[in-house]
Amino acid sequence: MDILAFLIQQTMFFSIPLLVVALGGMFSERSGVVNIALEGIMIMGAFVSMMAISVLQDTMQGQGLLLIALSVAALAGMAFSLLHAYASINMKADQVISGTALNMFAPAFAIFVARTVQETHTKDINFTNTFRIESVPVLGKIPVIGPWLFQNAYITTYIGIAILIISAILLYKTKFGLRLRACGEHPQAADSVGVNVYKIRYAGVLISGALAGIGGLIFVIPTSTNFSATVSGYGFLALAVLIFGQWKPKRILFAAFFFGFMKTISAAYSGIPALKDLDISSGIYKMIPYIITLFVLAISSKNSQSPKAAGIPYDVGKR
Amino acid sequence: MKKLLVLILALVLVSSVFAGCAKEPEATEAPVDEAPVDEAPVDEATEAPVEEVEGYQIAMITDAGEIDDKSFNQGTWEGIQAFAKDNGKTFKYYKPTEVSDAAYLAAIDLAIQGGAEVVVTPGFLFEPAIYEAQDLYPETSFIILDGTPHTADYSTFRIESNVYSIFYAEQQAGFLAGYAAVKDGYTKLGFMGGMAVPAVVRFGYGFVQGAEYAAVEMGLDSVEIKYHYTGDFSATPKNQTTAATWYADGTEVIFACGGKVGNSVMAAADAAGAKVIGVDVDQSAESETVITSAMKQLGVSVYMGLEGFYAGEFKGGVSETLDITVDGVGLPFASSRFNTFSEADYNAIYDALVADTDGLRSSLLGDTDVDAATDIPTTVVTVTIVE
Repeated sequence: MDILAFLIQQTMFFSIPLLVVALGGMFSERSGVVNIALEGIMIMGAFVSMMAISVLQDTMQGQGLLLIALSVAALAGMAFSLLHAYASINMKADQVISGTALNMFAPAFAIFVARTVQETHTKDINFTNTFRIESVPVLGKIPVIGPWLFQNAYITTYIGIAILIISAILLYKTKFGLRLRACGEHPQAADSVGVNVYKIRYAGVLISGALAGIGGLIFVIPTSTNFSATVSGYGFLALAVLIFGQWKPKRILFAAFFFGFMKTISAAYSGIPALKDLDISSGIYKMIPYIITLFVLAISSKNSQSPKAAGIPYDVGKR
Repeated sequence: MKKLLVLILALVLVSSVFAGCAKEPEATEAPVDEAPVDEAPVDEATEAPVEEVEGYQIAMITDAGEIDDKSFNQGTWEGIQAFAKDNGKTFKYYKPTEVSDAAYLAAIDLAIQGGAEVVVTPGFLFEPAIYEAQDLYPETSFIILDGTPHTADYSTFRIESNVYSIFYAEQQAGFLAGYAAVKDGYTKLGFMGGMAVPAVVRFGYGFVQGAEYAAVEMGLDSVEIKYHYTGDFSATPKNQTTAATWYADGTEVIFACGGKVGNSVMAAADAAGAKVIGVDVDQSAESETVITSAMKQLGVSVYMGLEGFYAGEFKGGVSETLDITVDGVGLPFASSRFNTFSEADYNAIYDALVADTDGLRSSLLGDTDVDAATDIPTTVVTVTIVE
């Protein structure tokens, strides 16, 4: 197989969940609520949708089931993120602590419920992968691009790209996006012109919950044959992508693919003759995304684009 | 409105506290039923009557990981369950709060407070804790799997008469897996271990030697083995990609030897139409891609250990390696998916190992015999270590 095509296919497995979850984080933070619960929400989304898959997979398979699972994941993520929204918007709790609480709760809950509900009494939820697309009809036959993007793929890849485009339009081209950004920068100003800050922030957190939930499912499907209450820290990695991407969709896209590609290289270099001959330790490849993140943050932190009001509970009386 | 909400929440909180108290006695007898294993509940009538006893006679302390890890903890637990049900003993498992000697000791103490006569601890991580515990609790017996008591700095090894230590000859299980794979026509193999802990290393070295043995026997020109430790025991995109890369590079079958790493390898194998060899327990049900599994009979050995204890023949002070001669390791032939490797072939190599024909069994190298997989003397097999 063409090595480049192979690498790009593998990169998608890393990048698309990172992209979707980081975009989720973006909606929450641009509305003014720091959301470090992404990891927990991913677990919750993946858990509930995996349960749905394991129940339904005897009666249906393929893309229809995956689409249902994706909607279930989104709903579960939204429901779970409501807890964060309520604590940090209504109760004005510390958003980092609320997020941490969700992160600790999610895996414990998933293990407990899986053991209680499943007939086998195990925490692992097994699934049969009927979702992989060997080659997309017509598109998969295009030379060069076909093998890159339309072979050995999942429908989630295209959904992820669609989410990116919709997010960018929503954030920059709609009234809602303007209000969302205003609430993240200066909620008092937004309030003074009649924007309901609470509602906008709820919307931001709920969107992030839906996307993180979807991201959890996208993460699990191509990489395992069962789900065992973990997403291996990819929620936190998505936070790094969000910051590296400076809270902007286009940059997040770049950051997600950069992280994904570097992770692919570090895992796959042993099978790529050109890289194997270089004789560089895999540790170097594994370090690069993080070193570059530190580097970028170091030089860009002075004019960081982080939403000014992110992490600060909205207080009407404050000016 | 808000006050009402607060009131309701407070009531829920208070009632849940009481509910917690009320449930306490019920909860302490629960683990028998909650036991998370794939096993049909034993018919009440066939169970031996439970003696009137206080507490739980057989205790297990879990290693890092969950009780249903499809590996060490679960295998041990199944052995305990089977024994207790056959003999009417009470049993319970305790999960340490963290992976540390202090937490392990605390869990052991808790188990003994809970009435444990014999404590089963799976895994070499328990070695220092058992070293302490054997003196602290001389009245209690301990069974430690995959380890032998020693101090944390490995300076002193000492096993008291209340400790029975069991090792497994993983290199023999690995040998069988490697042999079967090459005999079945695969010449490009891979080994993906979790962390380089002694048991995993023994599996890996055995795999290489088994492949070599088969290759020499068949007169093959070359067999390639890629050899890698992932550094974790979990299913991640990284492990999936490593496996997928190997498959894309021509590897035909990967021996996935690290808990959940296997699930990522299976996902990659599924996409590539390639094969996987499972580990520890029979993993054929997890994926169609699993051709066989290098098993060690955790449950059986725990069962036998407990049987000895209650028959008054506890092998205290003994450190034993269970190998193929006592059915301690093997492949699950019935559920294996081989092309040409027949049961007769399997029995032949199995018997050769048992009989130690030409010193086959006794000359197998273990984890301490060589420094790296590349140091294993081979003529046909080339091992490439992937860092």
